[in-house]
Amino acid sequence: MLLELKNIFKWVNSGGQRIFLLKDINLSIEEGEFISVMGPSGSGKSTLLNVIGMLDTFDEGEYHFLDESVHTLKEKYRSNLYKEYIGFVFQSYHLLDDLTVYENLEMPLLYKKYKGAERKAMVADMLDRFNIVGKKDLFPAQLSGGQQQLVGVARALIGKPKLILADEPTGNLNSQQSEEIMGLFKKLNEEDKVTIIQVTHSEKNAAYGSRIINLLDGRRI
Amino acid sequence: MFKHTILLYLRKIQKHKSTFFINLIGLSSGMACVLLVYLWVSDELAMDTFHEHDERLYQVRRNVPVAPGELATFSSNSSLMLTALQEEVPEVELATAVYESDNNARLETKDKKLSAFGVMASADFFKVFSYPLLSGDKNTVLTEVNSVVISSELAASFFGEGVDPMGKTLAIKEGEEEIDDVFTVSGVFEVPKNSSQQFDFILPYKTFLKFRDPDDIAWYSNSSSVYVLLAPGTDINAFTQKMADFVSKRNQYLKGEQVVFTKYSDNYLRGNFENGKQAGGRINYVILFSIVALFVLSIACINFMNLSTARATRRLKEVGVKKAIGANRKSLILQFLSESLLLSFFSLGCAVLMVLLLLPWYNTITGKELTFAVEPQIVLTLCLIALMTGLVSGSYPALYLTKFSAVKVLKGKINTSFGDLLARKGLVIFQFSISVLLIVAVSVIYMQLDYIQSKNLGYDKDNVMIFEIQDGLIDKVDVFLEQAKQLPGVVNATYMQGGMTNFSNSSRGHSWPGQTEESKHISFRHAHVGPEFIETMGIELKEGRTYSNEKPNNESKIILNETAVEVMGLENPIGTVIDMRGPNREIIGVVKDFNIQSLYNEIAPMALLCRTEWISNLVVKIKAGEEKIAIASLEKLYNEFNPGLTFDFRFLDNQYQELYQSEQRVSTLSKYFAGMAILISCLGLFGLAAFSAERRKKEISIRKVLGQTVSQVTVMLSGEFMKLVFISIVIALPIAYLLATNWLSQFAYSISLHAGYFISAGVVAILVAVLTVGSQAMNAANKNPVHALKDE
Repeated sequence: MLLELKNIFKWVNSGGQRIFLLKDINLSIEEGEFISVMGPSGSGKSTLLNVIGMLDTFDEGEYHFLDESVHTLKEKYRSNLYKEYIGFVFQSYHLLDDLTVYENLEMPLLYKKYKGAERKAMVADMLDRFNIVGKKDLFPAQLSGGQQQLVGVARALIGKPKLILADEPTGNLNSQQSEEIMGLFKKLNEEDKVTIIQVTHSEKNAAYGSRIINLLDGRRI
Repeated sequence: MFKHTILLYLRKIQKHKSTFFINLIGLSSGMACVLLVYLWVSDELAMDTFHEHDERLYQVRRNVPVAPGELATFSSNSSLMLTALQEEVPEVELATAVYESDNNARLETKDKKLSAFGVMASADFFKVFSYPLLSGDKNTVLTEVNSVVISSELAASFFGEGVDPMGKTLAIKEGEEEIDDVFTVSGVFEVPKNSSQQFDFILPYKTFLKFRDPDDIAWYSNSSSVYVLLAPGTDINAFTQKMADFVSKRNQYLKGEQVVFTKYSDNYLRGNFENGKQAGGRINYVILFSIVALFVLSIACINFMNLSTARATRRLKEVGVKKAIGANRKSLILQFLSESLLLSFFSLGCAVLMVLLLLPWYNTITGKELTFAVEPQIVLTLCLIALMTGLVSGSYPALYLTKFSAVKVLKGKINTSFGDLLARKGLVIFQFSISVLLIVAVSVIYMQLDYIQSKNLGYDKDNVMIFEIQDGLIDKVDVFLEQAKQLPGVVNATYMQGGMTNFSNSSRGHSWPGQTEESKHISFRHAHVGPEFIETMGIELKEGRTYSNEKPNNESKIILNETAVEVMGLENPIGTVIDMRGPNREIIGVVKDFNIQSLYNEIAPMALLCRTEWISNLVVKIKAGEEKIAIASLEKLYNEFNPGLTFDFRFLDNQYQELYQSEQRVSTLSKYFAGMAILISCLGLFGLAAFSAERRKKEISIRKVLGQTVSQVTVMLSGEFMKLVFISIVIALPIAYLLATNWLSQFAYSISLHAGYFISAGVVAILVAVLTVGSQAMNAANKNPVHALKDE
């Protein structure tokens, strides 16, 4: 088992009223799964993803990740945990504009304190694998959306995470680019056994996954 | 990691050039200010501290009651003081007496004549002070009557570089004490640059005593400065108490005088005395400029903080992404701090370049010979300044930008909190308050100096030449004057003792009919002058007659100023005979008051005595517009009396200006500092306005689409900043008023402050701000709204 959520609640207080963002979520995910989270706008998909990614906290419940109890961990350990095992892919890519493709890929390794030579090898390997060696010295603004997201996925993958969290990864892409990225996810999941959780609006994209989780108003349905 | 930070930073600079340059210009000029002031301050603080026994080295002074409840502090002492201290006071380990003449002396060898400044000092001079002796033994150089110790420069100019001057002879002539003899070089010394006293040669004090009128070697005749080296462990307070009546017990005329001791190295920075107490001096300017320089730098730091936080949105994405990728807050703070440190060290480089370029100019303004050498201390200070600047200016943005969580940042859900806005606005207000303060300061200082220049001093300082009576002139002053008066362009000519900017002699203990107990202690400043002095100087006669028809050397007549007559309480002064502790003198005239000191001091009771004794200067009034011909013919005449000597003269108005040298310097420096502060503040405001226009792009577009005109939008955008400037003015003006009043109160004669100074400072600040912000606002208001709205 990779992770398990037990009775997770998350709320905000607004005008004396408690508004629930997540309500009693129970979820367990095995290694190697490819899960799609679906639901209308405001149903809590992204919040759930952020909670799983430890970028956001929750108010009640238990969260176990690889035998660690996330809800009892201190901030520092929590960030070590997700640094080590989780990679993020964003809808709007979130590449750093002032860095080249190569440097964007290198960035996560810097925070994991890899040595220079190691970093070089890992980045080269990733460039090779995604077929973007020729683009390594370009800046994000010089790439198409699909290519940018490709770099985004490569960046998420470079630290060899067990879990990739993708928040509408194809939201800004055209259909052809979408298919490429989804194909890539599929391949990663099948060949490299990377666990993937994606948030998506599209049934077509959800079909790439092995399981679909539906949310409505913060609840699983 | 660090490489990445630098790389990222350099690319950012390339992208946002204007922000970078605003910060660079601001920080580097702020640092340059601090560096220049640092050089000046450390030079000032090091003055006179090179003496080995600095901690125990004191100067003997006297507090003399000049009016009821009022003490004046004098540094001159009787020549008897030296032996009395050496023989009677066990706490005094060593003592030395130094006589300083007001004038240069003539030195000659067979083939060279030079004018140089010398003092006469007693045997232990080189043991009390630590002026390095290059040749000669410090125990004996000043023991023989006809020996002279000369500076290495003087030695070089007389005997040539590398020639041993020991044992060579020099003929030395000096007017005031009528020294005229041949002296043998017994030693060579050097005067370090950071010595407040500079002299070219030293004669033994014995020589001074030999040439001095025996009547004047007495306790009531004060001529010399006396310095003592106290025994180690002496408690200065107890010692001062013990010594208080050291002088007063010796002579009935000296009743009430207290002996006090001031640390020698303090004299330079704390040279002012107020009612017998040391009361500041140059130290005030040292402190003032240190503060101003730090203010200028802090204004630049504020620009950096404001621009960095205002442009936060641009960097928030970076923060969010990095956090999501695995960066913790610490590493991000470190990144931001390294960026600001990079900038500040980069600025330091520019600042050092600026300082190197500006140093010659700065030296002329400050009248110093500052150098910028690579010494460990300077390098350390530089690094410290850059480090502090980087940390101070970088800490707020670093903490501010990294506090948001990744989720919020990436979703763009950042609302600038009220506190952040307040902080940013507060910083702008601080900047502008300082700027307004400096504008007021500059205008007040400028007006006061202008007032000093144009104030009616009671005599006419224009077109008056002054030169020393030397050599061939000494015995033939009258002949010279008669001939000089005939020259074209010369209006009148006379002689006097000392200069017009200070009558250094004073005396008390006089008596006159109707004297009250209170007026017994009045001290009079006096000078010996020639018969036509009052006419030549254009001093107004109030009643009686001048000396013009009297014989010179008139022992029985005296002319007083109005103040003297008033404090003496004389109803009909003319004809009154006063006893001046010597000959009785009849008052023949009263002149209107005139200023002989700087305007810090009020006019004191003053007497003009018509005597040729001790006179040192010739004073020639020339016709305006005929200066050239007058100078040329005077020079010709001068050379007839003094063949081979250069005609070295000065104009009185220049001499007068020198009284205010430090004020002139303050005025010039504060002008530049104020300019700098305003410039940097405006740069910051410019950056903020540009940012605000960008941030409100959408709002502006919507407003325009809804029908607001360009001018309305411009006013709206500028208004946001004008409010801040206005608040700054309200804060700064009362403070400026207090400071200005305080500064002016040092002067006995000063301008009166009126609202104009303050209003104009406020108007200048507003104008500058309007120009800065307005251009940005106009620019933003003129943009086509469609472009901005399409972005969404």
